[in-house]
Amino acid sequence: MIQDLIDLLRIIVFPGFLFFAVLGLFFEWIDRKFYAKLQNRVGPLYAGPWGLFQPFADFVKLMAKEDIVPEGADRPLFSSIPVFALALSLFAVLFLPVCGAQGVLSFEGDLIVVTVILTFFVILVFLAGFSSASRYPGVGAERSVLQLLGYEIPLVASVLGAAAVTIQTEGSLQIKSIVETQSSWWSILGIQALGFAIFLLAAQAELERVPFDIPEAETEIVAGWLTEYSGKKLALIRLAKDIELAFLCGLGATLFLGGPQPILPGFVGALSSTIIFVIKSIIVLLILTIIRAAMSRLRIDQMVNFAWKYLVPISILQLLLAVMVPRLIVI
Amino acid sequence: MSVVDIPIGPQHPAIKEPLNITCYVDGEHVVGAKLRIGYNHRGIEKAGEYQTYIQNLYIAERICGICGIVHAFCLTQATEDIIGKEIPKRADYIRTIGLELNRIHSHLLWLGVAAHEIGFDTLFMYVWRDREMVMDVIEDFTGNRVTYALMTIGGVRRDIPQEKAERILKVMDLLDEKVRKYKKMCLDERTIRMRCDGVGILRKEDAIALCAVGPTARASGVPFDVRADDPHAAYDEIPFRVVTYDTCDVTARLLVRIDETLESISIVREAIKRMPSGPVRIRVPRVVPTGEGVGRTEAPRGEVIHYVRANGTERPFRWKVRAPTLANLLSIPVMLTSRGDYVVNIADVPITFASIDPCLSCTDRAIRFIDVSSGKSWVWTFSQIKRMYWRD
Repeated sequence: MIQDLIDLLRIIVFPGFLFFAVLGLFFEWIDRKFYAKLQNRVGPLYAGPWGLFQPFADFVKLMAKEDIVPEGADRPLFSSIPVFALALSLFAVLFLPVCGAQGVLSFEGDLIVVTVILTFFVILVFLAGFSSASRYPGVGAERSVLQLLGYEIPLVASVLGAAAVTIQTEGSLQIKSIVETQSSWWSILGIQALGFAIFLLAAQAELERVPFDIPEAETEIVAGWLTEYSGKKLALIRLAKDIELAFLCGLGATLFLGGPQPILPGFVGALSSTIIFVIKSIIVLLILTIIRAAMSRLRIDQMVNFAWKYLVPISILQLLLAVMVPRLIVI
Repeated sequence: MSVVDIPIGPQHPAIKEPLNITCYVDGEHVVGAKLRIGYNHRGIEKAGEYQTYIQNLYIAERICGICGIVHAFCLTQATEDIIGKEIPKRADYIRTIGLELNRIHSHLLWLGVAAHEIGFDTLFMYVWRDREMVMDVIEDFTGNRVTYALMTIGGVRRDIPQEKAERILKVMDLLDEKVRKYKKMCLDERTIRMRCDGVGILRKEDAIALCAVGPTARASGVPFDVRADDPHAAYDEIPFRVVTYDTCDVTARLLVRIDETLESISIVREAIKRMPSGPVRIRVPRVVPTGEGVGRTEAPRGEVIHYVRANGTERPFRWKVRAPTLANLLSIPVMLTSRGDYVVNIADVPITFASIDPCLSCTDRAIRFIDVSSGKSWVWTFSQIKRMYWRD
């Protein structure tokens, strides 16, 4: 009974839904504030200390706004997408090892589930665009699927590259074992540096941020697949996207930076694993923000071109390296 | 896949002013485009007929919020053309400085907008931050940031004393350094080049045939610049280079504008150095003799023409303004149509459109009414409109 209650609390409060909802909003704030600093602006300032509550204030405000569904839209689908998006991102974060080496959900092969979830996000984007029955969302949806063709293989390859060691030594595809193998040596401090770079680019594309914000390019197609969403639905989608941001940063930290392992390999710090995990995720987030600030948006054909000419071959190369090199060392 | 029409505007984040571009799209490729302007008619020319010449200067300045000095200058030029009096040399130099500062501010503004159109917000923020310097300098000597009220018939209203001239020079040095940095950034940053190279091609013969003006024409290799071709103010005494590029694409327009900004900075420096002393205005009669006058100058966007017909009263009989955007708009459908190897993507539409630096508030002076469903068009006279819509 008590165990059930604890499990429920683990899912709903910590380290599950509520924790990640707050973390997602916090990450949005860091992203905006740091982006603003890079651009010589002040960024969010008024809601809370240093504008810390601005994302939350935006969320509350959007919840109170009028909610419009376009006349021609596929109403049930259109209205359910925000709920699905939020549910999906909240489901995804349960796999992250926030405290201890394993997440709330952990089983053999959960890495595959995580990669599948990443693809599901794009399917939701696609459905959102098409159920809107409007031109800009239609173009945006089309672009998001085209973009998926570009970055999905590199993303999966980089994730598998991070798991190469555990696959070979333990035959395991579990996030927990990936984290445990990094207790002495983070995987980024080796050939995985390349995998990490590929993961960052792919994550940027998955999150639809500059230079890959093509599906929601503001100056081209208004807000892309999000154009017709308003009010509560938009608030939920934005929250889902924030959580997705936190999820991908967390995934990067887990796979390449040792997740909740102590800050320096071998150094047992006083910090709890949760704080270490969050700090590492923030490092990933800051890198993503720098990428966002330093580039302009690519065109969809350039993006797919770039992905297939460079990203896919390099990611396959790094996967091969990740598989071969440890073996060579062992021999 | 069949051809879909995607309307861009009259309300769209990429377009800051009301205009409609209907793009005919096949997949991601634009196969044709149609323009509609006329959402923003303000009746400025008509209003001008009810005001005196001096009052008109302040209306003229409000034709465009960005190149206000240019329109006021053109109107004074046209009026002085009729009056036929020489204005003091020092006033010519101050006018030149005003026009060039205006150009610097306008080109920097455009650079920011262009960066925003291709999704490079960081460059946008930096450029607009530095644009504030030139805004401050303009405010310093005219008294206003936007509508300057600098020009008057027979000269200028404000002199540039020594200490203000020094302040201007100091800012010019700072800006020079910054603009060179941005030029390097635009040339080196790969993603900018990927978005601008080979986009929005306007071949030289098209540019000439479609009467393109200003940086749009000069980026297509047409060395047309009113400042050099028909010198006015102090442009005949100050050496400067007419910047042209011949790649005919958005990059060329980007570089033409950046290089022109550098040219403008050197013109301002030179003008301050050579500025003669003396009065800055002469008194002219309120009543302008019968006659016709034309004022033309190179606005940041291209050639502006003001035509004034006077009938011997203190109000103009007719005042006609041709803003550069009207001349450049014709090139837009050509730039936006894929033909042969030249492919236009939807993503290229905003930056291509922005590359002519459109200013519709200058441009819109629609006088024909069109019934879209039947294609019938007609003109309403003032008395007809009055009969239909005015209630007294």
